[in-house]
Amino acid sequence: MMEWASKRSVIRMNGDKFRRFVKAPPRNYSMVIMFTALQPQRQCGVCRQADEEFQVLANSWRYSSAFTNKVFFASVDFDEGSDVFQMLNMNSAPTFLHFPSKGKPRRSDTYELQVRGFAAEQLARWVADRTDVQIRVIRPPNYAGPLLLGFLLAVIGGLAYLRRHNLEFLFNKNVWAFSALCFVLIMTSGQMWNHIRGPPYAHKNPSTGQVSYIHGSSQAQFVAETHIVLLFNAAVTMGMVLLCEAATSDMDIGKRKIMCVAGIGLVMLFFSWLLSIFRAKYHGYPYSFLMS
Amino acid sequence: MAEHHPVSDSKHKSSLNSGASYSGNGRSSTAVAERGSNAGAGGGGLSGGLSQPAGWQSLLSFTILFLAWLAGFSSRLFAVIRFESIIHEFDPWFNYRSTHHLTTNGFYEFLNWFDERAWYPLGRIVGGTVYPGLMVTAGLIHYVLNLLHITVHIRDVCVFLAPVFSGLTSISTFLLTKELWNQGAGLLAACFIAIVPGYISRSVAGSFDNEGIAIFALQFTYYLWVKSVKTGSVFWTIGCCLSYFYMVSAWGGYVFIINLIPLHVFVLLLMQRFSRRVYIAYSTFYIIGLVLSMQIPFVGFQPIRTSEHMAAAGVFVLLQVYAFLQYLKDRLTRQEFQTLFFLGVSVAAGVVFLSVIYLTYTGCYAKIHIPIIASVSEHQPTTWVSFFFDLHILVCTFPAGLWFCIKNINDERVFVALYAISAVYFAGVMVRLMLTLTPVVCMLSAVAFSSVFEHYLGDDMKRQSPPAEDSSDEDDRKNAGNLYDKAGKVRKHVSEQEKAEEGLGPNIKSIVTMLMLMLLMMFAVHCTWVTSNAYSSPSVVLASYNHDGSRNILDDFREAYYWLRQNTDEHARVMSWWDYGYQIAGMANRTTLVDNNTWNNSHIALVGKAMSSNETAAYEIMRSLDVDYVLIIFGGVIGYSGDDINKFLWMVRIAEGEHPRDIRESDYFTPQGEFRVDKAGSPTLLNCLMYKMSYYRFGEMQLDFRTPPGFDRTRNAEIGNKDIKLKHLEEAFTSEHWLVRIYKVKKLENRDRVEHKLRSTDATKQKYTTKKVSWDFKHWTV
Repeated sequence: MMEWASKRSVIRMNGDKFRRFVKAPPRNYSMVIMFTALQPQRQCGVCRQADEEFQVLANSWRYSSAFTNKVFFASVDFDEGSDVFQMLNMNSAPTFLHFPSKGKPRRSDTYELQVRGFAAEQLARWVADRTDVQIRVIRPPNYAGPLLLGFLLAVIGGLAYLRRHNLEFLFNKNVWAFSALCFVLIMTSGQMWNHIRGPPYAHKNPSTGQVSYIHGSSQAQFVAETHIVLLFNAAVTMGMVLLCEAATSDMDIGKRKIMCVAGIGLVMLFFSWLLSIFRAKYHGYPYSFLMS
Repeated sequence: MAEHHPVSDSKHKSSLNSGASYSGNGRSSTAVAERGSNAGAGGGGLSGGLSQPAGWQSLLSFTILFLAWLAGFSSRLFAVIRFESIIHEFDPWFNYRSTHHLTTNGFYEFLNWFDERAWYPLGRIVGGTVYPGLMVTAGLIHYVLNLLHITVHIRDVCVFLAPVFSGLTSISTFLLTKELWNQGAGLLAACFIAIVPGYISRSVAGSFDNEGIAIFALQFTYYLWVKSVKTGSVFWTIGCCLSYFYMVSAWGGYVFIINLIPLHVFVLLLMQRFSRRVYIAYSTFYIIGLVLSMQIPFVGFQPIRTSEHMAAAGVFVLLQVYAFLQYLKDRLTRQEFQTLFFLGVSVAAGVVFLSVIYLTYTGCYAKIHIPIIASVSEHQPTTWVSFFFDLHILVCTFPAGLWFCIKNINDERVFVALYAISAVYFAGVMVRLMLTLTPVVCMLSAVAFSSVFEHYLGDDMKRQSPPAEDSSDEDDRKNAGNLYDKAGKVRKHVSEQEKAEEGLGPNIKSIVTMLMLMLLMMFAVHCTWVTSNAYSSPSVVLASYNHDGSRNILDDFREAYYWLRQNTDEHARVMSWWDYGYQIAGMANRTTLVDNNTWNNSHIALVGKAMSSNETAAYEIMRSLDVDYVLIIFGGVIGYSGDDINKFLWMVRIAEGEHPRDIRESDYFTPQGEFRVDKAGSPTLLNCLMYKMSYYRFGEMQLDFRTPPGFDRTRNAEIGNKDIKLKHLEEAFTSEHWLVRIYKVKKLENRDRVEHKLRSTDATKQKYTTKKVSWDFKHWTV
């Protein structure tokens, strides 16, 4: 067992192994077992997330200085050990069970997944509760963010190096204005809320199969919805800019007229559209414009 | 826990039925508006014929600013007209109480005030832990008025302070926008900020809070800063410092200023826009501002200690070094080496600056996860709906203004661009910081609208004035602002405009103008609606509407607080959840354990623990805290959703944070993870003190023939524990609609009984109380 555990932090089990190491009574270790269904044809998204958290927990135990043979982490996949599932009368995955070294598993040895969620920290508290083994969860640092930043800096640096004879583009107002606008639009369309709360992209009604992109309440939003709002805000802004350009630029008259009409059209159309979305979300709001 | 963000569910009824009163108010404000626009149109017509338009210009801008002030003031009066002149919500009650203390006992007594009626048994040093600007301002106005023998009560001064200051805010916004763009945009911005809901939300009559005066101080400081960068004169900079001092004394948001101004200077350095003006302005501002801000007792030595002030110090040092090197550069010739050196220095400074920003950001982020901060509804991130609700058309158009500003950049437009970007970031993170975003959105939208009108309205006016006058009926001050624009601006752009004139033609121009004015009209209507429906509720007095539109006033809060004031001992200690601490102190004048100044988390957790334990355990805690009365808010009878049972999980969470062994959040949920008050609810919940006090004798009450007795209207459930017996508490008072319930904590039983033989067995039993109670519960449900 120790050998396996040193090779892989989570031991994969099938029916035979389960009976041999978990069910056989004389044991001096406890087992924490995740029952799951990771095969792609099972389409269990929750299992995959839970598995990641479980791996984090097991790894922090495996590489911690307090690593002993008191606790082992293992997982049983439905497609490899369906007989185990039948043996334990289990019909949902993922499930976390603790098998104590002595005696039968009690009710509290089943982890309350619905209530506590499957964050590794919560799991660690539960394990500490059951086995008296304190595990400090150490998440592998997320390299994606710094890597991306580094990559971005490298690209910018490379560009600057390639065009080192002509640094004019640093003084290009359009670039700066455009990036400032992007930032403002991202913020005003509530992307920060998405970042903190993590809402779903859109909601699919399971019974009718209809996909709704707009959340019905004014207290919440979908990601898709914020993208729509971002586009609408950008369109109104562009309309205002076009209106001004039409009046001041020195192109020929026909083009300017078209710009002007397009500008006012953009402002009116997208603002009234935005207003109608707002009205649908904010119940009891009485006003609308052009479209209800 | 001031819930400013409109909760659509609770406001729903009022929004549907208050149409009548709203239209009445709307009419009165349009009447004002028409007067304004007539004056504007008349002025516009006459100015063409006069040889000296300057006089008309100033007359017009005075009129428009005055009308903006008036409109802003009157649209903030909904609450006073509907209810009465009353202080709103929670924090304003504390501000009112301390202002009252200031006016009765004098300034020095106020600075030394130790309030023994709050945070029993700890007390609170009020003088050293408040921003005194608000109280001093109100006290000063009261003093001056009394000196002139205009006798007003201090409460009325407090109620009307924020609306009056909104006028000052619009004037300072006008001045700032005038410095940034032109006078026309300034007038538009002043009109926008007078009525925009994002600012009204914090400055309606009765909301006597720091933000009401702080936004004025913020805008005025920025105006003086821009002015001093433009002129480079020490005079304006000193003015800026004094205004900054006022801001520091008024609101903790001064940190925004002390970070934004250094950022401005830093970006100017990066853009190689360093000049002697910037040097003079910033050096003076930093030194004098620092010294002045340290005079406020609450701020003290923070400006030289804490990380959020370090950016300012870093930029100050950088500026000195940069100026010194500039000086050397004039003397020496090795320019190559020096430019490299500048680059190195500025990059190093930038890294330091960014890391400081990053540190403060992570600090803020960590705070979000502490339950007591997360429990406040204002500290949530902002959805796009809130942006649109508070800013309407302005949120879509202000990026256009930002675009124009960056395209035609100069020193002060760098400032406004940075202001916009930083404020929009903070507003995205936290709903309450929408307040700092609102002024800059007004300014930039005004820039966008003004530059559109400049091109589309001006020429039409030259040829035919009637269409403009027609439209002026529709929209008031803005239109007047545009007329004004024409008078001031046409002269400058004659050459451009003549070119444009040939192309676009009067038809397109008038259509564009009309549509734009319609948008602005919709904005004005939206602002009035939002103000009337979402932001004008005192929340101390509630109103409900019947089907025929008649109104019921629910005055339970004040009823209960006055009961406390009249019927309890003067030194009685009242335990309640922290939301109601300020109100109990302000209205009932009794000692509280915790209040809205949530400085001591463990004390709050203790109260939370008492509320969420069973009665016996809670009695121990209450005895140790000398509690005489317990006050709770219960909305089950009238369907009030902001009551203590709905806040209860936060009490549990906060208590769990400090006492994880005794309180566990999961105990209060059903095995399915639901929070229910009916029979399926968890036994721990059904036997905790808060549940018992809320539903005591509620099971005997049948509200409606369609529902069983003991039916909770807020949570739409029949309660699970109808036969509640209280052992250590007794009901003392319940208000008319059961909204406030007060319980008296019984003294220990008499000695005779305690020495009874059974006592020893009682004591052993008490160890197992929790289990025992849960068994009891099972008997009840059977």
